Amino acid sequence: MYVERGCYGGKILFIDLNKGEGKRQAIGDSFALKYLGGDGFGAYFVNKYIDASIEPFSPDNAIIFSAGLLTGTIFPTGGKAAAFSKSPLTNGWAEGVSGGRIGFALKQAGYDSVIIRGKAKKLSYLVIKNDEVVIKDATHLSGMTTRQTAEEIKKDEGNEFVVASIGIAGEKLVRFASIDCDERQFGRAGIGAVMGSKLLKGIAVYGDKDIKVAKPEKMYKLFEDYYEKIVTHPSFQDDGKYGTGEFLEWMNAERGTFPTKNWSEGVFDNRDKINPYYWAPRYVLKNKACIQCPKPCGKAFVLKGDGMLDGVEYETLFSLGSNCGVGDIEAVAKGNELCDLYGMDTISTGGVIGYTMDLYENGLLSKNEIGIEARFGDGDAMIELIKKIAKREGIGNILAEGVKRASEKFGKDAEKYAVHVRGMEPPAYDVRGIKGMALAFMTSPRGACHLRSAAYALELTGKFWKYEGVDRFSSKNKGKEIADMENFMAVYDALGVCKFSRGIFLLDFYDALDAAIGRGFTENELLLIGERIHNLKHIFNIKAGWKREHSKLPDKFRIPIPKGVAKGSYISKEEEKEMLDDYFNARGWGKDGIPKRNKIEELEIEEFMQK
Amino acid sequence: MYIKAIPENCSGCMVCEEVCSMKHFNVVNRYKSGIRIERKSVVEDLPHICSHGNECNYECIAACKFDAIKKDEKGIVYVVYENCVGCHLCELACPLNAIHVHNKLAYKCDLCGGEPECIKYCSQNALQLVEG
Repeated sequence: MYVERGCYGGKILFIDLNKGEGKRQAIGDSFALKYLGGDGFGAYFVNKYIDASIEPFSPDNAIIFSAGLLTGTIFPTGGKAAAFSKSPLTNGWAEGVSGGRIGFALKQAGYDSVIIRGKAKKLSYLVIKNDEVVIKDATHLSGMTTRQTAEEIKKDEGNEFVVASIGIAGEKLVRFASIDCDERQFGRAGIGAVMGSKLLKGIAVYGDKDIKVAKPEKMYKLFEDYYEKIVTHPSFQDDGKYGTGEFLEWMNAERGTFPTKNWSEGVFDNRDKINPYYWAPRYVLKNKACIQCPKPCGKAFVLKGDGMLDGVEYETLFSLGSNCGVGDIEAVAKGNELCDLYGMDTISTGGVIGYTMDLYENGLLSKNEIGIEARFGDGDAMIELIKKIAKREGIGNILAEGVKRASEKFGKDAEKYAVHVRGMEPPAYDVRGIKGMALAFMTSPRGACHLRSAAYALELTGKFWKYEGVDRFSSKNKGKEIADMENFMAVYDALGVCKFSRGIFLLDFYDALDAAIGRGFTENELLLIGERIHNLKHIFNIKAGWKREHSKLPDKFRIPIPKGVAKGSYISKEEEKEMLDDYFNARGWGKDGIPKRNKIEELEIEEFMQK
Repeated sequence: MYIKAIPENCSGCMVCEEVCSMKHFNVVNRYKSGIRIERKSVVEDLPHICSHGNECNYECIAACKFDAIKKDEKGIVYVVYENCVGCHLCELACPLNAIHVHNKLAYKCDLCGGEPECIKYCSQNALQLVEG
């Protein structure tokens, strides 16, 4: 009755690209209440339908899109969709959460998730129009950018279609290729490359069914109250004017943890012009929002020369900016646009380019080997390397494999400079001075990732939710904190609510869920579901071969931060071990990181972890 | 009275579409909304909404063969649902792309009785109520 009366699409769509057909299956109440939606459905379906031992580019891998539970309602900032797969970058759990409208469109078409398996015979795109499913020829779209692909598909199918597409990076199996939808990305862990391996260039979705809620009047009242709260919250002004990079100066001057020049420094001296306080008034035409969000942090950025994009986000100001030593916003924005058009994750792209520059400066790669001079601070070199990677030209063919595989290929001392966790290039938090986040990089199911815990704000300010007085320079008592935050954020990804709203809603979703599906959930109930979801992602990794020794930090994190307010801070081997032990204990897992039997039973996920 | 869109301010969040269909029909369905946002490119989001005769010549009323579109004493154009057969003539005639047929019924802005919800919940001031 909750699925029936509530805001669920009500069905799961299975696409078999080998046969070119789709099948549907209804979801029931017990499943919905156990996993909620979004990330919860993803965690279940990945474990159920992907054999963890397969090669990520095998046709047997799946790509799963799920709409959040609240996606498609009027709940503000609750319009997210998520994509899941087995990652070609980490060989483990892959997910990307995005504000593109594909989740919303799937809901209107009557689906909560779509599960795509198999491999097309030639480059194709998938059309989902309410109950119809068709696979069409896309050979004419080969080599096109994500933007052109979406435009061309809309020309043929209709302007009302929502299109998710890959660019040339996905087609070329760049291991950190992304999927674009509405100029927003399912960015990390290479799901775009999995799409490329399936010869799937795009997915076009149209749905025109009603999305209802169990208690519409209550939902409307909640919307009104929350809207007021959101537009009067200080973050409304900050995000509105400067976007996600608003705190860039603070991260440098006040916290000293803005990773710079391939994680050599925690303060970027040449940062003034990549600071949104400089560029937003000069380059931004207007705000850009995800669907369902009255608090837009996106920016319509128009380059002085040629180009436009939704950005530049904080993470990219780091990855293509400080991490490459580039302080020129025009170059960073151009690089950002190219990554979006080629369909490549900006964080991993900047990670691997910063790494290349570090090797060049330290004499481990020559101009001959790279094809160009690649000094820190050279914006042209950064852009040139983006092109080489996307097209797998020259050294780009190695860099397209990601930092980990590239470092193995380069050999010699190259591994000492390689910054990744389980193959994933880390985001913009120099965790040498944010020790809880160092742990979170190790425990995130998709490799070095800030979003599964989003504990950076808690660590950097010392307080959030039930935590206060947290010391970012201490490695003590971080296990429970990170586990709690991971469970907390898994709830957000299951509901489809934006993480930038976490300070507004906390876990106070009882009334919203009661209005949405007719069943409220207390904070503890939600945290249990979050814990279930996190454990399922971890179980998938275990089945894919994860061992405790894989969750380790790069050598560079052992070198003290050289200057700034976090000067001298680093993560020792002992601290790494202490934090992991503490975390596994807090999770109810053994010292080897394997969940204990009673934990599996408590979470009722025995079907995925046999004795 | 009508709602004027300022596309330069529109963030493309589509909250207006959602509150419109929710307020009128208790569901979210952009195809039942009286306002539609066209996300044309990364820098262009175009709201389409009825001008109630201020920027058009009531082409929809003239086009309708079923007496299904009327205007009240204040000039507010509304759909008479009992009469509408979903023939698309109004949709084809409208120069502002502001009336749409979905499942055999036409949907358009009715100004919510003078206090439009879409304006109330447009956080970017991309919609303005114009008296006249």
